[in-house]
Amino acid sequence: MPVLLPAGPKREAFQALKAGLDLGSARRSVFAGDRLVPTGFDELDRALGGGFSRGAIGTLEGAGSSGRTAIMAGLLAGATARGLAASVDDGALYPPALAGAGVRLERLLVVPAQNAIGIARAADILLRSRAFEIVVMPEVQLQATVWSRLAGLAHKADTLLLTLGAQARTELAYFASVRLGCAIERVLWANESGPFCELGGYDICARVLKHRHAAPGASARIRVMTSNTGGFLRERAVGERHFFTTARTMAI
Amino acid sequence: MLLCVCIPNYTLAVARRDRPDLGDVPALLADKPDRGRVVALDERARGDGARVGQTVLQACASANDAYVLVHDPIRSRAVWSDMLDALDAVSPLVDDSAEGLAYLEMRGIDGDPQTWIDRTHLALHEFDLPVRVAVGPSKFVARAAAYVDDGRICAQKEAASLVAPLRIEILDLDPRTIERLELLGVRTLGELARLPHGPLVRRFGKAAATWHARACGDDPTPFLPRAHELQIDASLYGEGTADREEQLYFALRMLADRVCSDLARVGKGAAMLYATFECESGEIRRIDVGLAQATADPRTMLDVVRAKIEGKAFQSPVTGLRLQAARLEELGTPATLFAQREPDTQAIALALARLEAALGAEGTSVCTQAAHRFERRFAYEPFAVPAGGAGQSVASLARPVPQLRLLAVREIAVTMRGNAPALVGSPPRAVMDCAGPWRIEEGWFDGPVTRDEYDVLLEDGELYRIYRQGERWYVRGAYD
Repeated sequence: MPVLLPAGPKREAFQALKAGLDLGSARRSVFAGDRLVPTGFDELDRALGGGFSRGAIGTLEGAGSSGRTAIMAGLLAGATARGLAASVDDGALYPPALAGAGVRLERLLVVPAQNAIGIARAADILLRSRAFEIVVMPEVQLQATVWSRLAGLAHKADTLLLTLGAQARTELAYFASVRLGCAIERVLWANESGPFCELGGYDICARVLKHRHAAPGASARIRVMTSNTGGFLRERAVGERHFFTTARTMAI
Repeated sequence: MLLCVCIPNYTLAVARRDRPDLGDVPALLADKPDRGRVVALDERARGDGARVGQTVLQACASANDAYVLVHDPIRSRAVWSDMLDALDAVSPLVDDSAEGLAYLEMRGIDGDPQTWIDRTHLALHEFDLPVRVAVGPSKFVARAAAYVDDGRICAQKEAASLVAPLRIEILDLDPRTIERLELLGVRTLGELARLPHGPLVRRFGKAAATWHARACGDDPTPFLPRAHELQIDASLYGEGTADREEQLYFALRMLADRVCSDLARVGKGAAMLYATFECESGEIRRIDVGLAQATADPRTMLDVVRAKIEGKAFQSPVTGLRLQAARLEELGTPATLFAQREPDTQAIALALARLEAALGAEGTSVCTQAAHRFERRFAYEPFAVPAGGAGQSVASLARPVPQLRLLAVREIAVTMRGNAPALVGSPPRAVMDCAGPWRIEEGWFDGPVTRDEYDVLLEDGELYRIYRQGERWYVRGAYD
């Protein structure tokens, strides 16, 4: 006959068990090094247990200005240094900035595609080729069967399929192995306002929203800066921003 | 034994053949229509006093009833090339000495010399040119036999006697040498053969050794067979029709296997494929399939061809299919020390072909370029697999810098306060920080553009690049 414990001790026992799990240790050793694609940002790589895992779908989520592209540029810089990368471009790619981040543009295959089906087909073909370490695509609404197929292809090709979007929809959220939410915390300006002022950079907060092989919740702070900033930097804190900012913020 | 095919005055003969209306009128061949020089002429024009090398005016002054034709070297070469191809039916070894002169190695060819000559005439009959054919033991003797008489067969032992009465001009000597020899009383090859070899060579140089040998009925000139352009193809005709995709792919797989088998036999790979489809309606469609790297792998070929024909529609069932391998190259790629890091060119070529077939969009790479305007700071170019250079340290390359994502250019509402934007968008959002303006003026020669660009941080944390052009405001991108 089961013994019913009072509510108080049960909650305490559960809290003690949870505290003893040491969630951080689970993040530390997920894959061997060659199975990971490092982002190029040390703190973020630590939060991810070494980087994004190959052969899976990863997402970079956040509002229009959230630092997703800066993290993507770090991943592409590493991938193009080691081999080839591909990007399905919906017209948002700005190559000079990627080149500034160290991406070797001659090793980056850019495939223009406009609608969701075209983007999915392009990603499908690129994954099948097994020639690219990373395939980047914008996050679009696709059926679960399509995401399942893409996840299978990414696994077979041992390629990281990285999606960029405001927030992963249910289907993608299910098939993604790693989801990273991004937000800009602080914007840095060089000099005061006016024509002599310019954007100096920004601080990105990246939080692991989902990790198939580790507990979520780890976060990292990344500072990206323009190379030509002088000595004086003025910081402007951006208000509390939710990681699940929807695409409406893109419309101004 | 060698068979000589000789067409005297070949270039003029080709030019005359194209003008059958000329009949027996004497003709000159000039190198160009205006102020040209005579490059060939027939016996009647020569008899009238015209000579090779004269200007057309000079030649016409001598042979005023001669008709002037203009030399067309491309046409002449094309006709000769066709004749050589026709001669392949007589012997696989053909020495292309010059336009109008070819030698065929006849050892091992069935039949006797007369049969060979008849076969050669038959092969060249369609060209309607005055072909002379003869058989001899060496190139020079065979040519001399053709010069003496069409259809002449000369054995080794008859060679010296055959060439002896011929004039020394047949040795293709320059006029000065001919004059010197004539001063010595040497006008025929027989007279030349009787001269002692050593003193002749000492006086006329090394070339005289060859003249002397030829005059004696020997020819040290080697036989140089022309290189054959290998053609490898496979076809399926008259074996039913294919009206389904699977049937077509099945047939293509068979052809790819056959082509690759032939390619492997000669140790070559194809860098280009031509797939020709013949439909029941009479439609013939050829699809050119480029391969990034020459291959003799049937699977790669089939994949690339499939990728190319994906999405193509035929009006009626396919009744004939031909797969032709072109741009043949020696197989084998140099192995790299770190081959696992090198991109798979075949896989990339296949992916590019599929992308083009599926999306109509070619995969590109981008390059940056100096420009003031955002949209002109980069350009797309066809993607080419870069050779080497992989394996650099990531740490040395990654530089975290702000990234701009381009947005579709659209007009926005902006309220100014002082000289800076205060409210942006609709509904309006307050600008927290603003940098700019930066004036861009360019394009005075092809439509002037004057812009004031700003970076603005809005109250909701969005960071935009906006610009004012005239009185209107536009959004260009968001920092991300």
